[in-house]
Amino acid sequence: MAEIHSDNDKTGNQCSNQSPTVSLNEVLCSVEADEYFMNIKMGLGQIDRLVSDAVNNLVINFKYISKLTKTHHEMVLAIEKMAAPEGSRPIIELLEKQMVIADKIEQELEMAITSLQFGDLVTQLLAHTARQIEILNMELQRIDRQSSWKTGATTLEAIHEGLSHAAKMAKTKNKEKPVVQQGMQMGDVELF
Amino acid sequence: MAKTILAVDDSASIRQMVSFTLKGAGYEVIEAVDGQDALDKANIHKVNLVLTDINMPRMDGLKLLELLRKLSDYKTIPILMLTTESGDEIKAKSRAAGATGWLVKPFDPKRLLEVINKVIG
Repeated sequence: MAEIHSDNDKTGNQCSNQSPTVSLNEVLCSVEADEYFMNIKMGLGQIDRLVSDAVNNLVINFKYISKLTKTHHEMVLAIEKMAAPEGSRPIIELLEKQMVIADKIEQELEMAITSLQFGDLVTQLLAHTARQIEILNMELQRIDRQSSWKTGATTLEAIHEGLSHAAKMAKTKNKEKPVVQQGMQMGDVELF
Repeated sequence: MAKTILAVDDSASIRQMVSFTLKGAGYEVIEAVDGQDALDKANIHKVNLVLTDINMPRMDGLKLLELLRKLSDYKTIPILMLTTESGDEIKAKSRAAGATGWLVKPFDPKRLLEVINKVIG
């Protein structure tokens, strides 16, 4: 029993408010639900870490490619200077093609800056979802405690009321959603 | 002399993307990880523009905006909000608190530079 309470303390739930008449089965049921929500939150945390790790690596790759592109661009310009005016026409043409490619890579890298911001959006959405799950867990724990207090007198109406309250809480929090973007297109700009 | 921009965001990747874009255009960039860090750095460095996120730990962007506007050096310095948020209420609050403009993430580097050049160019 002490172990169960200890586990609940870690998750920050208020199970200590439970009536002393609560049966072991009811407490275990509550703990199982708690563990279920904890697993969901751990899953979200894992996604967040994986996304962050991937973004960090992508940013490193991005910076390296960008640096190489800049060097490549400078080298092509230097070779072009050395080749002209004595350079043969085929060499000049080849260098011009190289310049076009270098410009295109730079343009693509610029576009990648917008896409690489997905990590921030995902992290915020995951944190928001984790908060909603936490609210749902707390509400279900509350319903569970109320049911325990009213042993033998729990009505469907009371449970329905509790669930409605839980849904209302989740909806209220959903209004505070920090990210509304559905894609990675550039966001709006407004000067006041 | 290059103009200095204080870029505030708790996301390391966003700070790096902002820095990369601004440094590439010749600006000097000071990075801050949240509002409190930004406030500390704003008191030490002379800054020409502040570009800040809103949702951050310790101190959010709105509080930072309010506190910066109370400092004599930051009464007229442009402060742009760069955020995922686009709600009218928070936008109005920021405007009332003295924000210069509002940019919704993800930002496009060219558009960001256009806006910055417009307000401090």
